[in-house]
Amino acid sequence: MKLSSRVVITVLVTTASLASVYILNPESATRLIFSLLTFAGIYGLSAIGLNVHFGWTGLLNFGHAAFMGMGAYTTLLLVPHAAGREGEITTSGLPIFIAAIIGILCASLLGLLLGLPALRLRGDYLAIVTIAAAEIFRLLVRDLEGITGGVYGIISYSDSLQKYRPQIVDSLLSDLNISVTQTWVGILAWISIGIVLLLLRRLNRSPWGRALRAVREDEDAVRALGKNAVWLKLQSFMLGAGIGGLSGILLAFNYGSLQVTTFVPILTFYIWAIMILGGVGSLTGPIFGAIVFWVIISETDKIAGLIFENANGQQLAGVRFALVGLLIMLLMIYRPSGLLGKKEELLLDVK
Amino acid sequence: MSNNNLLQVKELKKSFGGIQAVNVSNLAFEEHILTSIIGPNGAGKTTFFDLISRFQSQDDGEIYFEGKNISNSQPYKIARLGMVRTFQLTKVFERMNVLENLMFAGSSVRNDSFISSIIKLPSQKEYEEELKTKAFEVMKLLTLEDMAQSYARELSGGQKKLLELGRAIVKSPKVLLLDEPLAGVNPKLSEQILEIINNLISEGKTVLMVEHNIEAVMRVSERVIVMAEGEIIADGPPNEIRTNEKVIEAYLGSDDE
Repeated sequence: MKLSSRVVITVLVTTASLASVYILNPESATRLIFSLLTFAGIYGLSAIGLNVHFGWTGLLNFGHAAFMGMGAYTTLLLVPHAAGREGEITTSGLPIFIAAIIGILCASLLGLLLGLPALRLRGDYLAIVTIAAAEIFRLLVRDLEGITGGVYGIISYSDSLQKYRPQIVDSLLSDLNISVTQTWVGILAWISIGIVLLLLRRLNRSPWGRALRAVREDEDAVRALGKNAVWLKLQSFMLGAGIGGLSGILLAFNYGSLQVTTFVPILTFYIWAIMILGGVGSLTGPIFGAIVFWVIISETDKIAGLIFENANGQQLAGVRFALVGLLIMLLMIYRPSGLLGKKEELLLDVK
Repeated sequence: MSNNNLLQVKELKKSFGGIQAVNVSNLAFEEHILTSIIGPNGAGKTTFFDLISRFQSQDDGEIYFEGKNISNSQPYKIARLGMVRTFQLTKVFERMNVLENLMFAGSSVRNDSFISSIIKLPSQKEYEEELKTKAFEVMKLLTLEDMAQSYARELSGGQKKLLELGRAIVKSPKVLLLDEPLAGVNPKLSEQILEIINNLISEGKTVLMVEHNIEAVMRVSERVIVMAEGEIIADGPPNEIRTNEKVIEAYLGSDDE
């Protein structure tokens, strides 16, 4: 098979960004890379779900954080945990794998509930409704303290997943001074990516995938050909929401304690940035987008620190956002199809 | 007129902000013929198409397809009953290739379903192969077979018209509603499209066409309906329409134009 320039560029950019971590942090590089790959796996998975919405079906979903949150909260409340100010530990609960499946299904269900009215709207209006719905979700979670723990969050749930951590993870990492709990979540995230991508590849090449692309291109033409466009959009919405839910669960276990502030709108925009960076509509693009994105997020402070020697942490964070913004602008101008997106299937045509 | 009325409208009305766009009291379309709707710009021809395919809702009135009341049906349900339309401004699936455009059009609801796409039974593969064969037959008919793998956005305007027509043909509906199939199409391609339409009629299909190419309309249609300001001002065989005073005044203009 001929290697396309897209693939070459993607591999080069990803390798170069990981190498830059080594150059900028000679001492702690290995630990950083493991942490970074865990985050990249989780965010990448979420972006894969968003890509089903936007890349495949053309749905402007700006409420992805809500689906992630729904998956996370449902799952954590079903396993042994401690929620709220009192923080009383519940000892009974479902096994994590069953709880996770219920969490994913609930995220899908939220997609259905939100989609039923919202998917009758077009383009920009859907974006407005989804961003509002995600905020409503977050504020509800915050205020329903009796159930969700509110602003006090949820703790003491990690063990339900960590008790399944194979011994081999610990023994392999024992010399490296790396968090084994985080690495276990990272491993599960990348396994999830593998499974989800296999499933999506199957769907992408199927008549169903073709139907979603047709909806993305022209809903009226889809209707005129006797296909129920709203139902197709709903299905896409539920599938992407479920994948988002799974990534939300992994994100919660990565943090070890869950705060409602995790699911603020900026999370959704990060996921969007990753999807655009990786290539809208590309199956594996979001993975590379996520790795590069996390390198940028974790390393721009250092680069900013080199430029502005006396800056404090808050100022550096500001520079970081400016750099990320600049990067996305440059990307949109010079490579709007992202790392792996096909130029011919460009969705974000800004010119 | 007997029972061979495939499509019938009664007291169909639609207005936009006080301007009457369509006001048709009683109109029936017979099977197996080509009926053309002509009229000046803004006469309500496309709105009429939108109403009978339910892409717009009527203010008042009823629509019957094969005796079934479809006045409140969803557009996709009407297409499933066997009445498929094209659009004045061509709507092809730009970022899909020509083959995919046609295969999607021909694919059944069951074949498109999520479940069968996950399970992928061998029967689905067979169905897809048949679909592909059918799609290539249509491409050959439309002389698009060299473009099978091209993105639809890369086609010329005329080729897009052909592709949209092809999509409707793959679905093999009973009735085709063609909204300006010849607009922006060169003379040679126009002849080709007209021939395809003729073949469809001889295969037993019913075609309704909105078209401004009067010469073509008069030559190929069996019945011509003339609309002006939302109302039908003339209805009959082409040679009758050609000499109708009202039509000449409202639309055709006198010979020395």
